[in-house]
Amino acid sequence: MVEIVFAIPFIAGLIAFFLPKFLGRSLLVVIGAVHLTLSFRLWKNHPPAYFDQYFAVTPEGMLSLLVISLLFFLISIYTVGYLRESEIPSEGLFTGSMLVFLATMTMVTLSDHIMVMWIAIEATTLASAPLIYTHRSAASLEATWKYVLICSVGIAMALLGSVLVAFSMGQANSGTPLSFSALAGAAKTLDPVWLKAGFVFVLVGYGTKMGLAPMHTWLPDAHSEAPSPASALLSGVLLNCAYLGIFKTNKIMVAAGLQDFSGGILMVFGLLSILAAATFILKQNEYKRMLAYSSIENMGIIAFGTGVGGLGVYGAVICMLHHSLIKSSLFLSSGNILLGYGDRLIKNTGNLVKGMPRTFVAFFAGFAGIAGFPPFGIFIGEFCIVIAAFKAGFHVAVTVFILSLCVIFAGFANQVMKISFDETDTVIKMKESISMVWPQYLLLLTSLVLCFFIPDSLNQTISDAITAIGGGLK
Amino acid sequence: MIFNPVDIILSFVLLSVLFSFGTDRVQVLIKLVGFQGIVISIIPFFIGHDMTTGGTVFTLATLLIRGIIIPLSIFVAIRKGAIRRLVEPIVGYHASILCGLALIIGATYISARLDIVSVSGFKLLEPTAIALLVTGMFLLMARRNAIAMVIGYIMMENGIYLVGSGLSVGTRHIVEFGILLDVLAGVMIMAVILRNIKQTFDDVDTALLRTLKD
Repeated sequence: MVEIVFAIPFIAGLIAFFLPKFLGRSLLVVIGAVHLTLSFRLWKNHPPAYFDQYFAVTPEGMLSLLVISLLFFLISIYTVGYLRESEIPSEGLFTGSMLVFLATMTMVTLSDHIMVMWIAIEATTLASAPLIYTHRSAASLEATWKYVLICSVGIAMALLGSVLVAFSMGQANSGTPLSFSALAGAAKTLDPVWLKAGFVFVLVGYGTKMGLAPMHTWLPDAHSEAPSPASALLSGVLLNCAYLGIFKTNKIMVAAGLQDFSGGILMVFGLLSILAAATFILKQNEYKRMLAYSSIENMGIIAFGTGVGGLGVYGAVICMLHHSLIKSSLFLSSGNILLGYGDRLIKNTGNLVKGMPRTFVAFFAGFAGIAGFPPFGIFIGEFCIVIAAFKAGFHVAVTVFILSLCVIFAGFANQVMKISFDETDTVIKMKESISMVWPQYLLLLTSLVLCFFIPDSLNQTISDAITAIGGGLK
Repeated sequence: MIFNPVDIILSFVLLSVLFSFGTDRVQVLIKLVGFQGIVISIIPFFIGHDMTTGGTVFTLATLLIRGIIIPLSIFVAIRKGAIRRLVEPIVGYHASILCGLALIIGATYISARLDIVSVSGFKLLEPTAIALLVTGMFLLMARRNAIAMVIGYIMMENGIYLVGSGLSVGTRHIVEFGILLDVLAGVMIMAVILRNIKQTFDDVDTALLRTLKD
């Protein structure tokens, strides 16, 4: 039964609201392990869903689910150490929201019905709002307010878009269920005008949640104000969930023969996001905001790759996997830096290499991976996208793409060097315990292994996912 | 030519839209959004489908949540916090009303050209839905009071619901109920945030919420 994968963390989350600190922390790790096991079994066996009108195991959903599961498990181990080091008011609310957040994200990856998808994505917003307000400060309140309002309004647009997609079925398809798979099957009979309108609204709506410019304004605030384990989840997997909504709607568009229309819009939003990230990352003075802008950049790359099509879609999926693994490790490391230096500003940090050598290794390796050094995964993904774009003849767009990546690399490198090697006289306030560095190492190691060796079953899942939107290794 | 009951009550909603452009008090806005919630919830009773028991129960639940619980939760959030009652316009009231008039004319014009078959019986359904959507967005952009912004969001959701029910999208009630619960939970969370904003900043002017930026 598929539904059990999100039912278990949901119920556990509700229980965790009332548990004392010690039990809540253990529950987090236990549920993380259970969830990981269940996800693997789902991936191996592909069982049918009990409510098969609403849920289904799809290749693209499975990819996201595996990432979510692995990340959550490692992040939950880190969280135990993090909660020991930092003072968090009402910890029950925090652990409970983490688990409910996991449940809602799992529901996104398994939903096949366009309205259930919307319900799940809006639920992720609601479940993660308390996480951002964890520190109870004025700034975190502001970030939460922006997050809830901007994302809710944005996702309302996606609801309108979903209604319009449903309307494109017209009288001819009145018996067809409103599921992504059924709509993709009947795509040729859908009214293209309503479908196009629906896609634009869905893209703007879920794009807000995914952090595409110019709807990205909530993202740096939310990621910098949330406690680091929550930031890692927000950046590592929540953004993918929103992307999944766009990916699945795009599948209908491609099946209806409208891939030029949808691809064009995706490329424009992707490029805008990369440009926005390039503009803001250069003068950034907070390291968590810098990482947030890097997420916007990577989401832009993913949207751009999806829009290009062909090999570009493969590149986009590769970028998505590696971005999740690497960026979540970076956010966890940034949590150590925050605990160690007690400050979010880059200028008040420095000499990380001496002060916190273990964190430095994770942070610097993460930077090398996310910035696109060869041979790491992001590089492979970006390389595929660039080749596909040149092949398809988008010369101007791909030039802008490459130049922006160079600017972002320069800005990012500059800040990371300051954090790592600048002289400082700050006394480090934190001891680097094993549970607060090993999760980062494991995340980076997974990414590194995936650069050189992708298991056949995983490769098969990726190619199943991308062929449906016209992607492939050609 | 005989007007049907749906068009008559929808014309009141259009009037309330105009009213919400011009009002300067959040209490009035809350009452307006409650009224709109009630009207759009009872529309399914008039649209030609045979009402099943499940459909009736769902419609009544919608009425309860959209018409009563959602406005009431905002009202309670205001009362407890003794929040300032003016909407803090960025666009002035007279200009706002003019925008509202232009909006209603534009919405009528556009929906006349949209050629929607399934609801040809009701002339005002699509104009009202579009008007509600755009009014919600207007309140979000042109008012600095955080409560007015939340009300703008609710109005948008009401508009989308009206689009859905007008186009008679064949979704199951359980799915629509899920959407409704999401909206309700969202408004509840916004109400909690409103109360916290009031306690932290002693005001709900969103100009105070602009410290995080690049």
